[in-house]
Amino acid sequence: MKAINSTALMVFTAAVVAGAIAVGCASAPLRTEGSTSGIRAAEEAGAAKVPQASLHLQLAKEELELAKGLAARGEKEQAASMLSRAEADAELAVTLSRGDAEKSEAQAAVERARQLRQDNP
Amino acid sequence: MKTIQFLIIVTFIALVAGCAAKAPNELVSARSAYKQASEGPAAQLVPAEVHKAHEALVVAEQSFQKQPASYKTKDLAYVAQRKAELAIALGAMAADKASKDEANAEFQKKQTELLKQGKQDLSDSEKRTAEALAAAAADKASKEQADAELQKQQAELAKQGKQDLSDSEKRTAAALAELAKLAAVKEEARGLVITLSGSVLFRSNESKLLSSAKVKLKQVAKALLAVPARNLVVEGHTDSHGTKSYNQGLSQRRADAVRNYLVQRGYPADRIQARGKGEGHPIANNASPEGRANNRRVEIVIERK
Repeated sequence: MKAINSTALMVFTAAVVAGAIAVGCASAPLRTEGSTSGIRAAEEAGAAKVPQASLHLQLAKEELELAKGLAARGEKEQAASMLSRAEADAELAVTLSRGDAEKSEAQAAVERARQLRQDNP
Repeated sequence: MKTIQFLIIVTFIALVAGCAAKAPNELVSARSAYKQASEGPAAQLVPAEVHKAHEALVVAEQSFQKQPASYKTKDLAYVAQRKAELAIALGAMAADKASKDEANAEFQKKQTELLKQGKQDLSDSEKRTAEALAAAAADKASKEQADAELQKQQAELAKQGKQDLSDSEKRTAAALAELAKLAAVKEEARGLVITLSGSVLFRSNESKLLSSAKVKLKQVAKALLAVPARNLVVEGHTDSHGTKSYNQGLSQRRADAVRNYLVQRGYPADRIQARGKGEGHPIANNASPEGRANNRRVEIVIERK
């Protein structure tokens, strides 16, 4: 009798704990810091002015919203997976913005050197 | 190397998965993007980023093996594609930065060369300018000295000229005074006229100079030669006794005689002429013997300049 009670107690405790965990996971807020900061960084880098970067910035924003929607419907894992897309697009948007600036600077430097050579053969 | 890795992964997947599960579009795109990254300049310029893309692709492929059509596989493949595109973009940035750095280095080097050359040119220019200024100063000094020398010479010439003029005037005056002792000298419109009596120079009706005449003419010649040569005209005149033609001829012969003697004494032949005037220019009345004696004469005209 005592053995059966101990076993039942353990199973119950485990069930309660498992249930608590499940409930806790279900109610944990979606961690969007990665994608939101990435989106902000892309905006500050001027991604809106560079066509290709602007595309990925827009994708990141859309994916963030989709993730929030999924999270609201309880699809946490899918929401987190969608956030990874948003973070990847935001990171690419930042790099493409900086890459465009680097290309412009490189072109200007090459032109300056060429002009100096031409003016002083 | 990266291409081989890619091919191995794809082959493995095809073998293991068989033809049953079709790869989602995201995975196909990820594979293509990784291939581009691993075969492009990013592989050498940003190998760490390419490696990250490779790892992401492997994770996606593994998910595809377990759950071919799941959202997780698609999302992982999407992220793998973005990782590969990120590597490509970072590779392009690295290439641009290298190009920019190289261009800037070339620019700096050229500028340094030009600056160095500019300093040299400036130094050379300054040197040439200094030399030119020195040459100009030397020329100026030389010119000033030449001008001073010229002025000095001109002053000396002017002084000499005045002296010469003064000397010439003296000699002329002396010559006139000497002539005045020898003969009658008179200033007329045609020039200075020296009148020599015919009876002093010639016998009657003759044109040969008397010895005494030569002595006088010798002194006349000396006086005339003491001054710069002037044009002379020797005119022979007669009285009215005899025919005009005879008198014309006699006067011409007498003028020639006096001219020839003066030329012998050194007077320039091209500066002296002889003209016979006959009886046509009397200076006295032919009615009296004294008048006729005065008309029988030779005139030496020193023409005006």
